[in-house]
Order: sequence, then structure tokens, then C-alpha cells
Amino acid sequence: MTKTAIQFTILYIVLALAQAIVFNNVCLFGAAVPFVFIYVIIRLPMTLAVNWVLTIGFTLGLVVDIFSDTQGMNSLACTLLAMARRPILHLYFPREDELTMPEPSIRSLGPEIYGRYLFTMVLFYCTAIFLIEAFSLFDPLRIMLRVICSTFLTFLLLLGLDSVISRGS
Amino acid sequence: MSTLWDFLLKYSRWFLFTFYVVVSCILLFDTNPYQHYVWMTSAGRVTSAIYGVAANVTSYFHLHDINEDLQRRTADLELEVIGLRNQLRAMNEKVYADSLAHDSVMQPFDFIIAHVISNSVSRTHNYITIEKGRLDSVRPEMGVVDQNGVVGIVNVVGDHSARVISLLNPKMRLSCKVKGRDYFGSLVWDGRNPGEAVLEEMPRHERFRKGDTIVTSGYSAVFPEGIPVGTIISHEKEHDDNFYALRIRLLTDFSTLSTVRVIANDMRQELDSLTAGEENDSRTNP
Repeated sequence: MTKTAIQFTILYIVLALAQAIVFNNVCLFGAAVPFVFIYVIIRLPMTLAVNWVLTIGFTLGLVVDIFSDTQGMNSLACTLLAMARRPILHLYFPREDELTMPEPSIRSLGPEIYGRYLFTMVLFYCTAIFLIEAFSLFDPLRIMLRVICSTFLTFLLLLGLDSVISRGS
Repeated sequence: MSTLWDFLLKYSRWFLFTFYVVVSCILLFDTNPYQHYVWMTSAGRVTSAIYGVAANVTSYFHLHDINEDLQRRTADLELEVIGLRNQLRAMNEKVYADSLAHDSVMQPFDFIIAHVISNSVSRTHNYITIEKGRLDSVRPEMGVVDQNGVVGIVNVVGDHSARVISLLNPKMRLSCKVKGRDYFGSLVWDGRNPGEAVLEEMPRHERFRKGDTIVTSGYSAVFPEGIPVGTIISHEKEHDDNFYALRIRLLTDFSTLSTVRVIANDMRQELDSLTAGEENDSRTNP
């Protein structure tokens, strides 16, 4: 197993556990819920085959689901996110082969582009998960409120997490 | 085979993606109650719509058999209804008979309860038809009453029906008296008002009060004494100055006649034989 593989495995396990134990119980103002585990999907290297990305995303979602007793919701959202990763990055960074590092981060993309990429990924995921959870358009304002609040909270957390990990590696 | 394999490899990501989505959806819909409910109800709605259309089409194939079955059932039901109606009529008669007040006047008489099948009040000569006849022991010259008062006299009798001369018929004159007194007169209908009749030939010296009851006098083989007929409204002068004529409001409501009783008088034969004997005497002894 290569160094990155080990790193990613550790990241996977740590973030999944952190989500299950700590972050699942956080609900700021009754609206904002942080989803830190999606950082694993966001940070996966672009050189990795899409099938692997999909598999990793699905299993990550499944693990978090089992811990939070919401079978199927997170796994579906994570699968969608994994599929949407490459198009979203292409949106902001069309010349992919010019990446300095295979993993998208502040270091490799620059803060503005990475910021946009991160924000879009987080927004996509939050929309997906809250729509699946509600499974209807009953009270759409509340759904929108939760999406927006969770997006901001998760975005800030992941920005911080990324700077910590990037400085470390 | 190799092109298929190449195709599968090329789009492997999509197959994998679909597979993961399907597995997630199965987990989602099976275990979470709200999603399960939404899935079931929407699936149910779609299937019911399709089944509805299919049923609409296939229902036409069985129309012939359903038709036959319905006709058979209708015939059975109609027979049952007729049977039940007859039963109901028989019960009604029994109830009617039970509700009759026990007059001491009427005790020696038997009644035949009959339904009115034809009636009129607006003609100058009115007749009533009842649905009992000779086979029900109805004979001509029998009196007919209902729970309110006198109705008429049986005129013509068939096997299963009989014609009754109504009181509203100038041909019928009923011998009546004021209840409690013995002064008697002759009640006849003047053709004007079906609720009123005229009691003629009442002696002039008698005082009459409005509201007094008029009853049958009993001076006939047809009606026993004491059957109520009407009440006095007013008196009017007759062309003959020695006698009064009284206007009577009839107690019987002829326009709503439905069930009547035919008085089977056991005494009639005896009375008739007595009068027949008188006639024979007058013939033999001029």
C-alpha cells in the first residue's frame, strides 16, 4: 500500500468516526449540521479511477449511515457526489493536467479556485442529503434554510481541516 | 463478444454508479418509514391507475354473462316483492281488525275486511268497488262501514270484487236518528259537498243543537243501530213546512277511503224470511 493509500485510509476512518461520534450531534440553531466526512471524497486524487472513487464514496456513506441509523440516505448522496466530482472540478479548473499535486487542495489549486470547488461540492452534498431526507417539497423554506446553514458550517470546517492537513503534508 | 466487453469496460463507471444508486435506494426505501410510505403510495397510485384502465377494458368481455345473471336475479326479486307485499297486506288487515273499538252494538256481527280498489267523490252518482266478492262471503245488500262511519251498501257482487253504492249517491237513503233521542229521519246526499249530507223528514217540534251526533236508527236489515254517521251543522227549511231538514257533516272521509268493513249480518236471512212471509200472506189473502 502506498503512503497516500495509508493516509487516505486513516483519514477515512478518523473522519467517519468523528462524524458518527461528534458531529452528528451538532445542530447549530436547529438548522446547521456539519458533514465533515465528505472531505474524503473531495480530497481523493484526480488520477484515481472513477470506479474507485464511486466505491469509496458509497462505502463511506454506508458506514456513516449505519452509525446514524439513516440507511441509504448518506450512501445515495455520497454516490452522487462522487459522480459529480470531476465535472464540478472541470467547471473551475479546466486544465486538469496542470495540477501540481494529484489531490485537489488549497496548495494545488490556489485558494480562490479551491474555495469555489469546495463550496460547490459542499452545497451539492447538502442539497442532496436534505432533499433525500425530506423526500418531499413540504415546507421548502425550511429545507432551503437547512441546506444553506449546513453548507456554510461545513464549508468553514472543511476549509480549516484542509489547511491543517495541507500544512501537515 | 469482445465489443460487448469493450462497451462494458468503457461505461463501467455508469454501471457501477447505477448499481450503487440502486443499492442505496433499496436501503433507503426499505428501512426509513417515511420514504417507505412515499414509495409504497406512489407505486400504489401508478399501479392502481394502470389496473383501472385494464379493468375497464376487460369488463366488457363479461357483459353477456353478467346480463343474464342480472335478469335472473331481477325476476327472483320481483317475485319476492310481490310475496312480501301480500304478506304485508295480510298483516295490515290483522292490525286493522285489532284496532277496532269493541262496540256493544256491533258484537253480534261479523266483519269482512276489504280494500277499496275504486272510488269517486266528484260524480253525481258515486260508487265504490272493493276487492272482496262472493268467494269471500260478500252478498248483495250488506252494509259497508269504516272506522269513522257509514260508507254504503253492497250492490252487485262478483266472484272476487263487489260494487258498493256510496253514501254520496242520491239513490241511497239511510234511516238515521239523533243519538239519545228516538226521532228518526232519512239521510240523503244532495250532490253538492262530498263531506255533507241532508237529514230530511225530521219532526218540526223537536229542538236540535249544533254538534249533536247522528247515528243509524236500526230500522233496517242492513245497518245495526247506533253506527255514527255525522254531526249536525245547521238546519234548513224544507219545502214541506211540517218537517225540518238538517245539514249533516259526514264523519266518513270519502276521499281517503282505503280499508272498509262489510257487515255480515246473520240476522238478515231470518228478517228476510219474515218479510217474505208477509208478502206471501198479502198475496194469498188479498
